[in-house]
Amino acid sequence: MTNLAALLEARNLSFAYEPAKPILRGVDLKLRSGEVVALLGPNGSGKSTLLSCLTGHLRGGGEVRLAGNNLARLPRRAVARQLAYLPQFPTFEPGQSVGDVLRIGRAPYLGAFGIESNNDLEIARQTAQRLQLQDMMNRPMDELSGGQRQRVFIGRCLCQQPQALLLDEPTTGLDLRHQAELCRLVQTLSRDNNIAILMATHDLNLAGAIADRILLLDDGAIVRQGVSSDVLHPETLHGVYGVRMHRIEAAGEAPALRMEWLSAPDQP
Amino acid sequence: MKRWSAKSALQYAGAAALLWAVVAGACLFVGSTTAGRFDIPTSAALSLRLERVWVASLVGAALAGAGVAYQSILRNPLADPYLLGVSSGASLAGYLWQFAFAAGIAAALSQQAASFVGAAVSVVVVFGVAGRRGRLDPVTLLLTGVIVNALNASLFLLINALIKDPPGAGGPISFIVGGIRTNLTSHQMIAAAVIVAGGWILLWSLSGQLAAAALGDAEIESLGISIQRLRWIALGIASLITAAAVAVSGPIGFVGLVCPHLARRFVGPDPRRLLPVATALGAALLALADAATRYLAGPSRAATVLPVGVLTGLLGGPFFLFLLLQGRRSRAPHAGGLS
Repeated sequence: MTNLAALLEARNLSFAYEPAKPILRGVDLKLRSGEVVALLGPNGSGKSTLLSCLTGHLRGGGEVRLAGNNLARLPRRAVARQLAYLPQFPTFEPGQSVGDVLRIGRAPYLGAFGIESNNDLEIARQTAQRLQLQDMMNRPMDELSGGQRQRVFIGRCLCQQPQALLLDEPTTGLDLRHQAELCRLVQTLSRDNNIAILMATHDLNLAGAIADRILLLDDGAIVRQGVSSDVLHPETLHGVYGVRMHRIEAAGEAPALRMEWLSAPDQP
Repeated sequence: MKRWSAKSALQYAGAAALLWAVVAGACLFVGSTTAGRFDIPTSAALSLRLERVWVASLVGAALAGAGVAYQSILRNPLADPYLLGVSSGASLAGYLWQFAFAAGIAAALSQQAASFVGAAVSVVVVFGVAGRRGRLDPVTLLLTGVIVNALNASLFLLINALIKDPPGAGGPISFIVGGIRTNLTSHQMIAAAVIVAGGWILLWSLSGQLAAAALGDAEIESLGISIQRLRWIALGIASLITAAAVAVSGPIGFVGLVCPHLARRFVGPDPRRLLPVATALGAALLALADAATRYLAGPSRAATVLPVGVLTGLLGGPFFLFLLLQGRRSRAPHAGGLS
């Protein structure tokens, strides 16, 4: 069940590196506790920029509210205790172990000299256990597979104990098994921990399968939003992606889309 | 997984200080007196050696500590404390000072103070040019530092080509290669020590944030850390520490580059542990290198006492290469190691 009050809300959000070339144009969105929202859109539509604006890293026009407070006026550490962000290409320092990376997630709670409390360590341990990382805490990150690394990075986010989690194309580069694992984790986090999750992705079927709602972004504006059956519509998607698709319906399941592989994308 | 507590911080600081104290203490028995190369020093020799060991330790600690901060903030393992123009600015200002001194117009300012000012001006120029709308970008900083270093070096050479050095100035080489000087006043030593100690404590207090400095800007900010503020503060403090060190010794190479890498091999990349260990290694190694120059000169002083910068360059270069090759070997993929 999702609560009705928005945990994270964007009002008339706009952003441009150059005034003549807006990247976001009047975006309104609401993210509620316990729901998974997928953010779809072609390359360059503004998905990553939107996520960066929602974290407060980029500041443009409009307003972002986190738990009812204006994000721009909140101290950065206070934001980091409520909102975690996983970029498309997360990084680590060479030589860091899994445990090191998880503990960095406690940064919003550390004081001078980076002194950790017992609670900081306990949360890192619990997170490791939950993500089945407890046996690899001392393993260097360089030695992990892409799927294992992604789990560690999500663990780093969870160590922040966030109420909202923003994921930027988290399944990129993962094989099918790791994609499925990640999707299960996303669903568990939203349902069991009431975390609000906004996930940018290119995978329409994955979005249809796990998201409670979908936002479709095109050219910096949200062109459609709603439940998957409303948004994942061949005509709508053709307008955005320029690719013709078939929708496959099955009783009791989210609609799936099959692209017409042999037809080239329509020329603009 | 061991918690980083106030107790562990004190343990690391204590162990690091002990490491330095043992090496520095041993260096007091190395000299170039008529009695031999290893001896129990007379009180006069002890006083001289104490001063050398103290200055070498201070400079080594400053360079190694600053090196940790530079490498973290600039996300570059090749970053050293001289990258942003500190040493070239200090050398140029110190070199210019000797002409002013010879002309009788520099009495109010010592050469060390002039070097400190030169270093500070260079860093301010680098920050001013590289800082766009208050934002510091590591790549722009590095490139600006390279340019300012090149300009300072060219000005140095131009002046050297145009004007003959005043008598007793020691020649231009003494400004290019640093060494441990024993002509410092107590005020100069205290000023340098206060700047280095104060700056170092501030850097250590930021070490929890430095641990995340290798991440992308958006990533680090999502952890509640203002990366721009961290860059300005940490680089500013590291530059100040470096300027204080270079002002009293001139540019001594490789200490600030090698010691953080060496310390990483013992305690890993976490700056909270790395900073005290690298600092102690810097202090101990430079005291040791300075003792080696005394040892090499010998009791008869047949050989000139080498500037310690020559020795650190000669040994530090190949040693750094060794560390790099070892690191590459240990990172090489191995069969079955990756899933």
